[in-house]
Amino acid sequence: NGSQLSSLPLHILLYVNGIYYIFYFLATLAMIIYKSQVFSYPDDFLAPDLAVLFLMAILEVPRLYLGFKGNLTEAEAPLGLSLGLTVGSVVLCVYLLLWQTYVLWADVLLNALLLSAYGLESGLKVTAIAAFVS
Amino acid sequence: PADTPDAAQARVRSAAAPVTDVARLCECDLLVAQCDVNCCCDPDCSAEDFSLFTTCSVPVVTGDSRLCSQKAAVYSLDVEANPPERIFKLVDQVNPSIFCIHATNYKQALYLKSPEIPTPENFDRLLDKFGGATFSAEPDSWNLDTDPQNPPDANETETSRYEYGVPVQTEDAFLRLPSPVVSSWCSDANPAGFLVNQATKCIRSVSVEKCDSIQALSMLFYINSSILASVFQVNITVQSIVVQSLDGTRTLLNSNDVLRLPMVLDELCINAVLRVNYHITHTDTGEIIEAAAAFVLGAISKEALSIEQSFEISFTQENAQPVPLSGNPGYVVGLPVRAGFRPQGYPFPVGFLFAALALSSNKHSQLTILQSTSTQDCLAAQGARAPVLFGYNMVSGCKLRITAAMKCQPLAQTLLDVLKGQNFPEYVASFGNSQAQDVLDWVPIIQLHISEQVKSSCQIPVALGIEVKWTKYGSLVNPQARIVNVTATVTTTTLKQLPSGRERIIPIMSSVVFTDISSPAEPGYKAWPTINIKLPFDFFYPFV
Repeated sequence: NGSQLSSLPLHILLYVNGIYYIFYFLATLAMIIYKSQVFSYPDDFLAPDLAVLFLMAILEVPRLYLGFKGNLTEAEAPLGLSLGLTVGSVVLCVYLLLWQTYVLWADVLLNALLLSAYGLESGLKVTAIAAFVS
Repeated sequence: PADTPDAAQARVRSAAAPVTDVARLCECDLLVAQCDVNCCCDPDCSAEDFSLFTTCSVPVVTGDSRLCSQKAAVYSLDVEANPPERIFKLVDQVNPSIFCIHATNYKQALYLKSPEIPTPENFDRLLDKFGGATFSAEPDSWNLDTDPQNPPDANETETSRYEYGVPVQTEDAFLRLPSPVVSSWCSDANPAGFLVNQATKCIRSVSVEKCDSIQALSMLFYINSSILASVFQVNITVQSIVVQSLDGTRTLLNSNDVLRLPMVLDELCINAVLRVNYHITHTDTGEIIEAAAAFVLGAISKEALSIEQSFEISFTQENAQPVPLSGNPGYVVGLPVRAGFRPQGYPFPVGFLFAALALSSNKHSQLTILQSTSTQDCLAAQGARAPVLFGYNMVSGCKLRITAAMKCQPLAQTLLDVLKGQNFPEYVASFGNSQAQDVLDWVPIIQLHISEQVKSSCQIPVALGIEVKWTKYGSLVNPQARIVNVTATVTTTTLKQLPSGRERIIPIMSSVVFTDISSPAEPGYKAWPTINIKLPFDFFYPFV
């Protein structure tokens, strides 16, 4: 009990986050395709939105991996790096929530859910780092 | 105020902002400062006007319904109240769909684009783009091979067949038939469509000094590129060259091989193209096998600033002679009446063939009428005849100047030729598509003579009246015109001998009248169907 510092809730949350993120990515991509067909979506507005989505997907993989690794090996460096990447993901998620060309109600729901997951994760990571350091 | 010029400029630069407040928008408010009937949102209507309305033509005004929540102005009439009054409510309309638009960061997303207001900065660019008589989205599209059915190096013959209306492709772009666009000036961007027979006339601006450098005046421009057809290319051959002099006389050149290019000679530009006639031969599957061009070259004088060019293109199928019908089967108003002769020696009615009929578009085998000319002189206008078009009553005439020296008999014969023409036919086709072999489809022309009672020595024909009686034939809903009777009446008058030195002018007239003698149609109905039930005779066996 005292000897194990890895946080179980963090691990569960990271696992659920990974699965949810796959669904989130596919849903957002499908909605962007839908929006480009139904609404007037010129190319210079479509390009940044797609770029942000793919950048977030690219960031997510190392972020989750470092989170898992840091939590399981009880090392604070990977967890700290993961926390930094989380900040980047949060910024991109806020962009998709507020500054996308068309924000549908479904977009609002998905992004709000993802943001709350990030927030909870960040809290748990900070607690875990504090536990590992001390 | 001191800021007026700048403020005015700023106002001019931006177009008026569109009204988006639903409470102020009213589609049915068409009359300015007047109340529109049944328009509940009209601000010009007072309460008394509302009491006279029966319904609201515009019950609700909203923005784009795809937004998640938006304001809606709802107008309704309360008919229970006395007097009826209008109810106006501003409600929030909610779109329950999960894909409703929550927010947009793109201003023009849900509105139409406002046009660009010209300013001193963008004026030149806008003028380049929109300043001409026409502008298109893609001006260079004709030069790209965008037609997937006719790729230049196709190996399959199916994809390189032409269909009706498809532009005829050549090596560089398409076969051009210059035509006037908007104004009368020639535009070279008009493609010739396959099987579309066209004739165009347009004006080209020229200058004699630079006439050898103007491409559109040289023969090469029109026969340069070869037409793409199935697996090979068809070169445009020169069929004939006619040279027209400045006063209008035309001479046909003997040799077609020599290419005559425009050049400046004695302050004239000779060999300038005035007329091009394209003749394209194709197979019945839509492949072009031959192309020929007939030119009329002329001379341009120094003072001329523009010349009129005319172009024509016609398509004929190989091994086929075009038979222009005047209707199928009934005559079509405006098409020429077909006529013909019975060759000598063929007895009637044992099957005979008509010779020289309208199996070709030979003008001599049509029913023709004298054509009035500008000189109005009968003896000078010999040969000018106009075809009789079905349904068009025509009158034409000329003036005959009689001098004392004229002899009666030759004059009468000349006048008869002038009135009737060289080949006055004997039979007229009853239907527009009557074939030569069908004897009964041809109506003989009845010739009548009306002359004055006085049996004088000299009678000259002065009038020819052709009366064509036609009837409606066939079904009640789609009657076909059928010629039943043709009568040509020649009216003669006596020619009094004139004292020498005197001359007289007599008007000569010819006319064509079409009379409808169809009897009133009686609709015939089929008998009502009857139910015929009969039981078989042994139905009640074994009781009966």
